[in-house]
Amino acid sequence: MMAVEVVVSRFLCFLLALRLGAGSEAEGVGEKFKIEGRAVVPGVRPQDWIHTARVLVEGEEHVGFFKTDGTFTVNDVPSGSYVVEIVSPAYRFEPVRVDITSKGKIRARHVNYLKASEVIRLPYPIQIKSSGPPPYFLKRETWGWTDFLMNPMHLLPLKVVVSYLFEQLQSVHNAFHHVEHNVNIFVSCIWVMMMILPLLIILLLPKVVNTNDPEMRREMEQSMNMLNPNHELPDVSEFMTRLFSSKSSKSGSGSKAGKSGALKRR
Amino acid sequence: MLEDQTFASMLGFWRTVLSVHSGTLEDRAVMVVLSEIWLLFALFEFSAAIYEDQVGKFDWRRQYVGKPRFAYFDTPTQNARKLMVTTENNVIASLNLRNGEIIWRQVDKEGPEGNVDLMLFHGQDALTVSGGGRLLRSWDTNIGGLNWEILLETGSLQTGSLIGFAEGVKYIAILKKASISLHYLSNGHQKWSEALPESEKIQYQLLYSSGSGAVYLVGMVAGSHLVVIRYDIEDGKIIEQVTVSAPWIRRLRDLCGIVADGILTCVDRESHSLWILPLESEHEPEQIVLQSLELELAEKFEGKILTTQSSPLVASSAQFCLQLSESHYALLQLHDGVVSLLRDFVQAVLVSFATTGDKVVAAIMTAKNKTAFGVNLYSAENGRRLLDTAMNFNLDPNCGQPEQLYIHAFLKKDDSVGYRALVQTLDHALIFIQQPGRIIWTREEALAEVVTMEMVDLPLTGTQAELEGEFGKKADGPMAMFMKRLSSQLILLQAWSSQLLKMFYDARKPRSHSRNEITIENLARDEFNLQKMMVMVTASGKLFGIDSSSGTILWKQYFENVKPGSSFKLAVQRTTAHFPHPPQCTLIIKDKATRLSSLHVFNPIFGKRSHINPPVLTRPILQSLLLPIMDQDYAKVLLLIDDEHKVTVFPSSRNILQQLQDSAPVIFFYLVDPILGKLNGFRLHKDLRTEQIWEVVIPTETQKIVIVKGKRSNEHVHSQGRVMGDRSVLYKYLNPNLLAVVTESIDTHHERTFICVYLIDGVTGRIIHESVQRKARGPVYVVHSENWVVYQYWNTKSRRNEMTVLELYEGTEQYNSTAFSSLDRPFSPMIFQQSYIFPSAISLVEATITDKGITSRHLLIGLHSGGILSLPKAFLDPRRPEVPSEQSREENLIPYAPELPIRSEWYINYNQSVSRVRGIYTAPSGLESTCLVVVYGLDIFQTRVYPSKQFDVLKDDYDYVLISSVLFGLIFTTMITKRLAQVKLLNRAWR
Repeated sequence: MMAVEVVVSRFLCFLLALRLGAGSEAEGVGEKFKIEGRAVVPGVRPQDWIHTARVLVEGEEHVGFFKTDGTFTVNDVPSGSYVVEIVSPAYRFEPVRVDITSKGKIRARHVNYLKASEVIRLPYPIQIKSSGPPPYFLKRETWGWTDFLMNPMHLLPLKVVVSYLFEQLQSVHNAFHHVEHNVNIFVSCIWVMMMILPLLIILLLPKVVNTNDPEMRREMEQSMNMLNPNHELPDVSEFMTRLFSSKSSKSGSGSKAGKSGALKRR
Repeated sequence: MLEDQTFASMLGFWRTVLSVHSGTLEDRAVMVVLSEIWLLFALFEFSAAIYEDQVGKFDWRRQYVGKPRFAYFDTPTQNARKLMVTTENNVIASLNLRNGEIIWRQVDKEGPEGNVDLMLFHGQDALTVSGGGRLLRSWDTNIGGLNWEILLETGSLQTGSLIGFAEGVKYIAILKKASISLHYLSNGHQKWSEALPESEKIQYQLLYSSGSGAVYLVGMVAGSHLVVIRYDIEDGKIIEQVTVSAPWIRRLRDLCGIVADGILTCVDRESHSLWILPLESEHEPEQIVLQSLELELAEKFEGKILTTQSSPLVASSAQFCLQLSESHYALLQLHDGVVSLLRDFVQAVLVSFATTGDKVVAAIMTAKNKTAFGVNLYSAENGRRLLDTAMNFNLDPNCGQPEQLYIHAFLKKDDSVGYRALVQTLDHALIFIQQPGRIIWTREEALAEVVTMEMVDLPLTGTQAELEGEFGKKADGPMAMFMKRLSSQLILLQAWSSQLLKMFYDARKPRSHSRNEITIENLARDEFNLQKMMVMVTASGKLFGIDSSSGTILWKQYFENVKPGSSFKLAVQRTTAHFPHPPQCTLIIKDKATRLSSLHVFNPIFGKRSHINPPVLTRPILQSLLLPIMDQDYAKVLLLIDDEHKVTVFPSSRNILQQLQDSAPVIFFYLVDPILGKLNGFRLHKDLRTEQIWEVVIPTETQKIVIVKGKRSNEHVHSQGRVMGDRSVLYKYLNPNLLAVVTESIDTHHERTFICVYLIDGVTGRIIHESVQRKARGPVYVVHSENWVVYQYWNTKSRRNEMTVLELYEGTEQYNSTAFSSLDRPFSPMIFQQSYIFPSAISLVEATITDKGITSRHLLIGLHSGGILSLPKAFLDPRRPEVPSEQSREENLIPYAPELPIRSEWYINYNQSVSRVRGIYTAPSGLESTCLVVVYGLDIFQTRVYPSKQFDVLKDDYDYVLISSVLFGLIFTTMITKRLAQVKLLNRAWR
């Protein structure tokens, strides 16, 4: 029974919307109506924000002001469909579409520019709650030691390690938790590898390895060469010298070219 | 004959042009979802936002209210804090008396529907009647919100008055053309409303209430009789209606007033006499000849009556002021039906009454010379001058004369009367003055109506000029040049070191103090040319020179002979780049009534009138052109075309005329006649005759021309084409002569209304493109730049704002890559078009501009909410694909979404909203990344925008400390490790 009623009312709304669409432009003649409503900024008294706020109906076609209790009335609005906006530089409000029939029946609904005929009803008289101050500014990306320490990348594995140890102590082994734990342990292992290992290597390697050993040194040099991925790529300084020498050889006379040829042959 | 031919061919062409209908917007839910995902990416790419710590660093806003119509001081005590004003710009505001700043301000609808017709002040409430007598509002002046608001019956407002009783004020009476109504002051509810008898014949204009339970209403029929009606306050019944024969009556306003206990006093200008009629008794009016009062009357007697405007609780006093001529006033007293002269003021500029406690004073302003003024208070009771009330002050010589005087009188501790004066001048300035003549604050309300503006580069400093001079001078030998070089290098070093010193000195001071005062003497260009001079022209005929970095007014100039409604055009003829010659601006002022223009040449940096005499124009000017041709003084040529299509050249030296003759074949211009719906193209002959070469007629029975917009002359386009996904190049159609013409349909029915956009070549008159937008109506806003046109309109079918972008391309090959000629373009361009929904109402659109055109463009959109939105042009790209492909992704094209996004980070003015935006001026700066923006309307807002972020300069949050500490740290560690290594080596050697 309820479902049927809902469908019927939706259908009626649709009819209403159609009629509105046809008659929205008949201005000038006919009765004038008023749009009423109330806006609330949670936690702020109306007298602290209404002096910068206005109610705009379809751009600046009709303008309304707030009363000291946060209610507003926009007078002399002919029948039609309008977008009612509450503009305030300090608080953000969602716009509302208000339909007024030629008989003066008024309803409010969500603004949908894509589907103008879609009706999601809102209470009338309009009740709008601010969603807070608009985010006008970007956040600066700051860098500090605390950021480094508080980075969630470090926190999560730490937490896991601590909780793992804690739970080991309590020797609670829930099968359901086990899988998750394994994953977490894996993550923390990676963390240990990424953060701790390099530190250990940097600090401990020189102590462990005897750098005075000539064999060891040769081995290390070799491994360093291995690390350098581009053997083919010439060194920058080498490249520059070659560039300049070739230029001078080009600009130089034939004898010079012969000279360089001789050099090459050597 | 020739004209006919062109016209005919044009018509033929007209028919052949295919009208391309723009793509309609359809609902694509999937697309929206897709694009929203994409927008997450877009957020990182387009950034017009600023950081919170940048607030006020390079932007400023000045708020204005406009020319006051009514002004009231809040309390008659010395520590009054507020001034309530309602203005011609439909603003009601409360100003702080200590510094002149706005405490709160409410901006009503523009135009006559928002006009505030009346303001009354009572206690802490201001009562206003606005909208042509439609709305009665009561404002809480402490909060800035409404106590109540009620609708009045239709009919134009005549007057209104507060009705007081012994116990206080309870009602407000509103007199309309045909009715009178009484409302409770506490909630606005109507107590009673009555139609006026014979309202179509009798003009009712005066209300009077003595507080005795009756309201008197005075009406008149000009040259015939007066009607006095007495209403019962309780029920609105007519107690008494009296008709008095008065053949001398002309009108009630200004000429009549109610003095003392309900005695109607009128001036009869013809017989030079006063008529006195007590309202409460049935006497016949009594005539008093002014000569009997020993008053000297001028030949042309234009008397006016000024009554004391006291509070409704106190009966108006028996004294009144009679204005005999422009500067001659008389203070008169009416006692027992006898009028006596209290004091004669022969040289008074303005007179105003003020009440404090039970004392009524008259303030008389006198002029000593054109700029020096004095105010004195006189007791209204006996006409004696009050001691210690003289106030002498000087007005700026570039100001207008005083127009209105508001006196804030109060009782001092010793019971004597003290006062402060608010002077309103003809150039819409408000000056608040304290005894004995100290100006506390000045508000330049003319800036609420800026009509046009230009930004001019500041001159170079002395050292910079010295350096420039080095290159300009003729060489006198290599040695001398070398010495010169060395000396200028030294000067540079000196300047740099002094700047460093100053920087260190300033760093110790708090930020607010460190910003040193900018005066006209120390004006100099900064290194990136970010600071400029804003030359603003206001509707009142006052010019301002404003420093763009701080908003300080550096000079002002008032033209007294400018009539209201004149139109202005500003042309920068010579910039500051030509050092020994001063910069030169020319203002073309066109009078509305006579349509005649006058030229005013001035230096934009100092505001001084130039010694150059501009030509006298005898015929109305239709069009003005600033040509890139320069005379030997580097001043650009201004061509003025009058209504006979004759050309006036300014400056008109021999050199210029010669150059004009040489380049005449390439000079074309167009004229638009919106009434006849005609666009005409002309060309210039060698002998400066003009010849019409084309004409486009737009049928006026269906359409009217609303906008004709060309491209900006200082615009640079860096890239000639766009590289597409397949590595081919799409070349832009960059026609500098292209005009975008927008017409609206005459029929405004929502089914049949349409707008039409024509792209017309201004040289040949060829219509390059025509597009019709059905079921659309204005107001249309157009931006025309590079190879694109963006226009905005209202879709009547879907009841939403839509934006359409048109982009013109030559194709993958350029016809002539070296130069563009309108006369040699055999191929018509490719046109791409796409439409979008803009989810808000728009008040103006403008595009950013940069020095070289490398930086990407943004659209600056002024919204009714007061925000200025910076929307990346990439969102308005007709090649946005519906389904993104590999190639479109490579081109960085955003997938099509019907609705354009509005993000609050894109508001360039964050919470500094700008009311009633009338213009957005953009100017390039010395930095390619930076565009200077000035938004003007009721307020003025200046800022900088970086459409592609600051790519050519270090950001202001660049962490110098971190970088230098890391650097020093590294140097330090290398030094230490070096030392350690040395020690280690030494130890090893010892081993």
